[in-house]
This record gives sequence, structure tokens and C-alpha cells, in this order.
Amino acid sequence: MAAVSPRLLALIPLAVGINLAMGKFAAATSLPLFLDTAGTVLVAALAGPAAALLTGVVSQTTFTVLDGRLMWLAFLPVQLGVALYASWAAWRGLFASVPRALLSGAGLGVLAATLSWPISLLLFGGVTAGGVTIVTTLLTALGVPLTWAVYGASLSADVLDKVVTFALVHAVLISLPGRMAARFPAAARALGRT
Amino acid sequence: MSVRLAGVSFRYPGSDTDALHEVSVTLRPGEVTLVTGRLGAGCSTLLLVIAGLAPHITGGSRSGEVTTLDRDPATRDGRKALAGRVGLLLPTPWTQLSGMSFTVEEEVAFGPANLGWRRARIAGAVDEAMQRFGVAHLARRDPRTLSGGELQRVMFAGVLAMEPEVLLLDEPALELDPAGAQGVYELLPVVAQERTVLLASTDLDRAAAAAHRALLLDRGSLVADGTVAEVLGNDGAVATGCSTTVAEIARAVGLTPGYPLSVADAVRRFTR
Amino acid sequence: MIVGYVAGKSPLHQAHPFTALALAATVVVLAFALPAPQGPAALAVALAALALLARLPRVLLTALGFSLPFWFFLGVIHGLIGETPLRALTVGAQITAMLTAFLLVLATVHPARLVDALLQRGVPFSLAYLLSATLQAVPRLRRQAADIVEAQRCRGLRVRGSVWRRTRAVVPLAIPLVLGALGEVDERAMALDARGAAAPAHRTALEPPPDSTAQRVVRWLLAAAAVGVIVWRVLA
Repeated sequence: MAAVSPRLLALIPLAVGINLAMGKFAAATSLPLFLDTAGTVLVAALAGPAAALLTGVVSQTTFTVLDGRLMWLAFLPVQLGVALYASWAAWRGLFASVPRALLSGAGLGVLAATLSWPISLLLFGGVTAGGVTIVTTLLTALGVPLTWAVYGASLSADVLDKVVTFALVHAVLISLPGRMAARFPAAARALGRT
Repeated sequence: MSVRLAGVSFRYPGSDTDALHEVSVTLRPGEVTLVTGRLGAGCSTLLLVIAGLAPHITGGSRSGEVTTLDRDPATRDGRKALAGRVGLLLPTPWTQLSGMSFTVEEEVAFGPANLGWRRARIAGAVDEAMQRFGVAHLARRDPRTLSGGELQRVMFAGVLAMEPEVLLLDEPALELDPAGAQGVYELLPVVAQERTVLLASTDLDRAAAAAHRALLLDRGSLVADGTVAEVLGNDGAVATGCSTTVAEIARAVGLTPGYPLSVADAVRRFTR
Repeated sequence: MIVGYVAGKSPLHQAHPFTALALAATVVVLAFALPAPQGPAALAVALAALALLARLPRVLLTALGFSLPFWFFLGVIHGLIGETPLRALTVGAQITAMLTAFLLVLATVHPARLVDALLQRGVPFSLAYLLSATLQAVPRLRRQAADIVEAQRCRGLRVRGSVWRRTRAVVPLAIPLVLGALGEVDERAMALDARGAAAPAHRTALEPPPDSTAQRVVRWLLAAAAVGVIVWRVLA
């Protein structure tokens, strides 16, 4: 790894902090949200794919260490997928409006579910986070085969979560004060302003 | 001559006015130079430009010539050569915490360790700096549990432990109580014996006594450069609130410009 | 429940961080490579014994507490689809073994010594810095987030109503946190740069943990055990 600029050294821990603090807000809404990729998506929009990938790696590692459940580390590919997809979306200016953000957020939800599906199925017998597993259990009880029950549960959780995440990042980008926006030129592109 | 600016202007990104405008100034080792001005006058920016952090970190554009220890601090080679030789203390101590330390001792050692010093040299420099700022008793504490004043002294120790040749201080006593602030300002002339010190401060009652020389900035331009008595005793400086309490009182009671800056000054003037 | 470093003097505490990490990595490999279900089950029991030997019964309790929901859902799901309980038992034992090993490492390796060990082995400063600084930034931002929720509640924030309305309530909560964090970036970057974070020298490890030949031998043995079991299983 080449030297990381001091600005990224300062930004990435804060972005991971955002990833892992969003749970407090999600809990306040009592909706099945995690928002634990909001910081990664934000970094993708502000600083591009390399910084976003690094944020994803550090985020998943830190979360695993702080939470103590080693299996979270296995879901690292999900964070990396989110980082790449969000960088692409930002580059294409998909944060320009609320409808665009919602739609591309839904796309990310499908991607994230598709990435986490084989991991939870093969490594953990379909059992992952509390809420998702309850849906898996319900679907299995209704006679859905385990493979599809796991995918269905992941989809139901991820699509809503990533839609809200993208809408949130859109809201952050449009409310960046001018001086701060000037410090992150990539934000203008994510908002389709170039 | 350790720092020289010739016709230096600086503009932050997204701004349409110069934060520094055509500033020319030279700083010498062995002196504490005070730079002051109203809010937004450009004092902090001057420090950042000398350190090269503007534009390296802040972005924006610089014109004119900056020479810090014979290097241009904004170039790649200059930054490499100057690493650790220019110390900078920012006003808020919390955002300066390294995030890598579990004890005060480790926090003070952060800078020296980054310079790749041997452990024995680091230990010596850290001990000396902690002694100097009266934080040796906090050595084993978690820096995140300190008060603002304690932390500000720890951060100052962390900067000084790198043994910089140029020391740039932006409101170094903002979080300290009056006695603590007095203590920090009294240290400055001692610290400046071996190095160049540039102090940005609006706590002029204390800073004036610690400085040998003063610069006055107004909206990015250097409007006065001279001894502390000349610059801060001037009518314009006092009228804009860029002087000491004693000088303000002296002006209010109708003394002639060249106002005394401290009670001692005033006494000397009236007994002459 | 306890996650994170617990001061102590057990052999695991005194081991080099890499020895502890090698142990955890070997456990992960063995959990999947040993013949199921008796292999993973024996591994879980062995690690439980190790936790007790290291006088960290609370780490063992935490591992069991974390495993419990897994066992429960594995039992329910695999019972529902009418599989033999063997698969559920295997996955459950694997998870418990890995969790215990991981929590033991977290409890016995001080993060600062791990960073020093990494730096000593030539790991770039940036990587060591990011891992360490993030571990300190997360609790701070979580506290800020909790404070924001509390403050907005005092100002009459009500998160109720339709899914749409509840979702929109996230925005006024999150924006102050995010903008506050972004506003700190430049100041933190300047402080880091001024303190030599981008200096060309390789950072000195402040208190590198002692290593020994015995520990190196243990690490090689652990690696050999992992490779050996894989080879044996592939051949068998």
C-alpha cells in the first residue's frame, strides 16, 4: 500500500465512525435499517473508489473487533461491493436527485443481498443478523427452500436499507456548505453538476 | 533568517477574496514574534502557509515566495525535508489527538516516533517535554480523559518533543485557566532561545509580554511590523481592539498614542 | 459479556501478538477442515479449556452468549427443513470455536502492542494508523450520535407514523453528525501532517512486544497443524 494522504488518514476513521454510529439513528426509527454503509457511500462520493474500498476494509475489520463476532469479517466482500458500486454511481452523477438516488440505492440493495447470500448460506447455514434470520425462519416455515429463504430475507433487508442510505447521502451532499464542498470537488460530480 | 515571505498571497478554494494579500515578512531565530488582528485577519492562514499546510492540506492557491528553513514548504521535496522541523500547535486540542495513543506518554511520543527516531532518543525528548509543560504526572493517563487545559499542554509537549526549529502556535492557551495560560506564555521566550517562534494570539494582555516583536494583519494585509510597543501601542491597533486592556484604558482616558501596554509600562511612563 | 482487552498475566497475555493471531487463524482453518461434527465439537471444548486456563471465564461466557442465538436459529431452521441435526451441530460448533478463539485474542492482545508488532514487521504506518485511529473514533462518534438523538428528542422529535415519515426522520439526525465529522477532516489532517504522519521515515514502534524462539516454534507448529489437517483431509 502506497502512502495514504493525511487527509484520507483523517477522513477514513471518521467515515467508519459514521458507518458504525448510524445504528443509533436507525434504532430511533424502529425500522429494520442498519445504515452501516452510509460512511462508505459518502466517501465514494467525496473521494472516489480507492478511498471507499479502504473505508470498507477498515469498517468491516473495526466492526468485527468491536462487536467480537468474528463472522462479520466474512461479509467483507459486501462492503467492497458497496464501495465500488457507490463510486460508480457517484461518477455517473446518480446522487443528482432524490428519485435517482432512491433507484440507484435499490440497485445497490440487490447487489448487497446477492453478495451476502452465498456467504451466510455456505458459511453460517443461513443464520446471520437477528432480524434477517427471523425472516429466513418465517420463509422456511412457509415451505420456501432454505437457499431462497436466505436470499429473500437478505433482499428484504438490504433494498430498504440501501435506498435509505443513498437518499441520506444525497441529503448530505446537497447540504454541504460551499466552503466544504470546495474541499471535495468530486461531490459536484456525484450531484451531476459538472 | 529562518522564515521569509515575499509578496505572498493565499486564497482558499471556493473563496473570492485573499486570506493573505501581498505579505512580506522575515522571522529570525531567538525571537517570539506575535501576529494578531481581528477575526479573519489571516493570522492562522499565515501560520499554515509557513508550515506549507496551506495549500498542501487546505487546497487553494498561493502566489509569492515562501522560504521556510531554506525550502519552499509547499513543494514535495520541501515537505519531505521539513518533516518534523516545523512544529504547529492548533487551537483546539481534541482534534489534534493522534488516535494512536492509549497514554499521554504515547501521545507526546507520536511525532518523534513518526520521524523514525531511536527509542532512547524518543524517551528522552518525551520526558523533557512533559516536564517542561508540567504534565509528567499525567504520563500514564488516557489522553481522552483529560480536561481541555491538560490536553492543550500535552499537545504542546507533543509538538515540542519533535524539537522543531520553527514553532508556529495558534492560540496555544485557549483552553487554559488564567494561571495556566500565564504559565504557557511565560515559557515562550525560554523556548525561543533555540528556535523561531511565531505566535498567533488574541489574548494580548498575556501575549504582549511574551513577545519581542509584533505583526498586525488586517483583512489579509500586513499593516504593521515592529516592536510590540510600536505595533500594539499604535492608535489604529488600539481602536480596532487589537491591543491590551491597559492600552485601551489609556486611550479611553485620553493619553497620546504610543499607549502603555501593561501596568508596569504605564507606571514607567508616569515616573519618567 | 466482555469484548476487548482485559489486563492480565496469563501465558496468552505474555505471548507475542502474532502468536495469539496464529492461534486464532489455525482455529478457523481447523474448524472447517477437521471431520464434522466431532472435530469442530472437540475444538470448541479445547478452546473453552484454554479460556479457563487463561483465567478468562468471562470471555468463555461471552462466546457462549454470542453462540446461543446461532444454535437456536440453526436448530429451528434445520429442524424445519427436516435435515439431520448433524449439519446444525457442525455449524454451531464451528461458530463457537471460532468465536472463543477470536474473543480470547481480543482479550489478551493490547491494541497498542499489536500496532507496534505490525510496525516492527514493516507494515506501512498508514494501515497501522487507520486501524488504531478508527478504533478510537468509533466510540466517540457513537456517543455523539446518541447525544444527537437525545437532544432532538428533547426538542420534540417524534419518530412515528408511516414508514416514509419514520425514514425521513433519519435525515435531521444524521446531517449534524456527518457535517460535524467532515468539518473536522482538514484540522485533523493538518495536525497529523504537522506531527510527521507523512514523514519519509518508517515509524518507530514505541514498545515492541518481546518475541522468542519458543514462540516462533509455536507459530510454525500451528501453521504446520493447519496445513497438515488440510493435506490429510484432501488425501483421505
